[in-house]
Amino acid sequence: MNILVCVKQVADTEARILLTSDKKSIEIENKYNMNFFDEFAVEEAIRTKGKVKDCQISVCTYGSNKATEVLRTAIAMGADKAYLLDNNGYDIEDPIITAKILASFAKTEGFDLIFCGRQAIDDENANIGAMMAEFLNIPHVSAILKFDVVDEKKARVESEIEGGKEIQEVQLPALFTTQKGINEPRVPLITGVMKAMKAQINIIDPATLKDLSKGMIDESASKISVLTYETPSARPTVKIIDGETPEQKVKALIDILKDEAKAL
Amino acid sequence: MDFKLTEEQEFFRKTIIDTIDKIVVPKSQEIDEKDEFPWETWKEFTSLGYLGLRYPEEIGGMNADKIMSMIFYEEIARGSVGFAQSVIMNILMGTYFIYRFGNDAIKERCLLPAMRGEKIATMCFTEDQSGSDLGATRTTAVKDGDGWRINGTKMWITNGPICNFCTVLATTDPSKGLKGLNFFLVEKGTPGFSSGQIIHKLGCRGTVTGELVFDDVWVPDENFLGDELGKGVYYVGDILDEVRLMTGAMALGIAKGAYKEALEFSKKRIAFGQPIGNYQLIREKIADIDTSMNAARLMINYGAWLLENGMDCRVTAAEAKMYATEVCLKVVDELTRIYGANAFAYEYIPQRYFRDARFLLYGGGTHEVLKDFIGRMIIGKI
Repeated sequence: MNILVCVKQVADTEARILLTSDKKSIEIENKYNMNFFDEFAVEEAIRTKGKVKDCQISVCTYGSNKATEVLRTAIAMGADKAYLLDNNGYDIEDPIITAKILASFAKTEGFDLIFCGRQAIDDENANIGAMMAEFLNIPHVSAILKFDVVDEKKARVESEIEGGKEIQEVQLPALFTTQKGINEPRVPLITGVMKAMKAQINIIDPATLKDLSKGMIDESASKISVLTYETPSARPTVKIIDGETPEQKVKALIDILKDEAKAL
Repeated sequence: MDFKLTEEQEFFRKTIIDTIDKIVVPKSQEIDEKDEFPWETWKEFTSLGYLGLRYPEEIGGMNADKIMSMIFYEEIARGSVGFAQSVIMNILMGTYFIYRFGNDAIKERCLLPAMRGEKIATMCFTEDQSGSDLGATRTTAVKDGDGWRINGTKMWITNGPICNFCTVLATTDPSKGLKGLNFFLVEKGTPGFSSGQIIHKLGCRGTVTGELVFDDVWVPDENFLGDELGKGVYYVGDILDEVRLMTGAMALGIAKGAYKEALEFSKKRIAFGQPIGNYQLIREKIADIDTSMNAARLMINYGAWLLENGMDCRVTAAEAKMYATEVCLKVVDELTRIYGANAFAYEYIPQRYFRDARFLLYGGGTHEVLKDFIGRMIIGKI
């Protein structure tokens, strides 16, 4: 069984993020991690490998050379092969292009099972997995919380629905996106870390992939353009209500609500 | 001149940060409060294989270079310096002489289980009247048949009360001073070998530190760890630079943890209507912390680079240890000022960093001894 895991490198939640002066892009401190939900995807692939015969896990990302770090992390955890789909410096903001590239890579290599995180924690789009499955014309289930291979052709998955859970049987090949709670991602062993440090990362120019050309994936192909980024508006300062007794404080509060906030 | 970490080193740095964040950091406050050896955390962490950090891959190690080792020491100390002490004792001092001089049976019995975390190692230098002054060592080893009979008491032994084996420094000829010093392996269960008083420390809690007693302990000749008699002090020299750089890296680890707390607090603490990080006096503190920590890290990395390339780093290692530790003390002090009164409460983290930092003044040589050494090396014989 060939498993593909798609991962994304995202800014660390503690990284400093600054808006450029034109507000059209952001500058991120050099602190990156594997996307939170993608860790579950890698872990599920490794656990599946432990249950089926002749299984190989490939991991891929679409990004810059810097993104090889997340590929190495996946190898340290237990993935076998890593592919960087090099964005050649273009930071395309259009998810459909990313999905096209990943799908084209999956088609070129041929996989029985594809795992993605349910969404990236930076753009929160939550649409790459679904779009990939559509381009590949394979079934997909989002945000799964349990996964089992029934046989070479079928998998059984559980996902949360309002007030309960849904259990589905899905024909393979298929794509699943992973939700928090499906597993506990492992901490790599030092042997995995050493393997990852030496691992060869296969670098692919997406324009060379099946059914793709440069014009289909560069900036000119994007139908979305960022007009501006805005920071959240600052929270108003907290006003402490003065008063020696609770009664005085309540009275002061009512006065403020009436006179200043005009809420009463 | 290239200051950039290699891709491998950078990946290792990131991985060890994540690992410490997941396994050690969540336990750090509990380790400090309980002041008991954290067996569960030990088992979880050592199962990952990091205790073989500096040993060859052929025997299950990682063969990490010295820069990577310093990254490791810094990060594990950032997590919990008490826990770090126990881990680093197994990685470096507690197994160094076993790896270098132990025969195959000893390596099989002691080194390999210590690399897997199944056995706890330590090294015994200090006595009640000798620390940096190794020439004052009073523990003796006297030839007795096909072995050696050891008598003496060692103090301030990290992992001592829970160790499975120790490398003990003893004099085989007190009349020769430093040239009479040698190392011996003593394993738990050997008649006459016992642990004495446990030391209750101000900081670095969670690691068990105490006294080891050698009362007519007999060990076979194979437990003599060396090429020839009287060279023990030279072997100490071989490991001392690495120990000093390691101590400096640990200091940097505590400072890094404290710096993060200070930075976060200065952004979120509101005083007079705005975050205190907007005030110049707080910004000055942050600027000083950042500058001095960067300088300390450069010194440690330079020392590690010298060591990795087989170059003399005696002065650099001593300077780096001393400077990084002084920087650490300054950073934890500034944290307690930025944090205000809560820094004085056990419920908050700053007091732990403040207490932990003090230990590094003594490990790897007091600064009074180091300054004398550095000055002597620079001025030379007059």
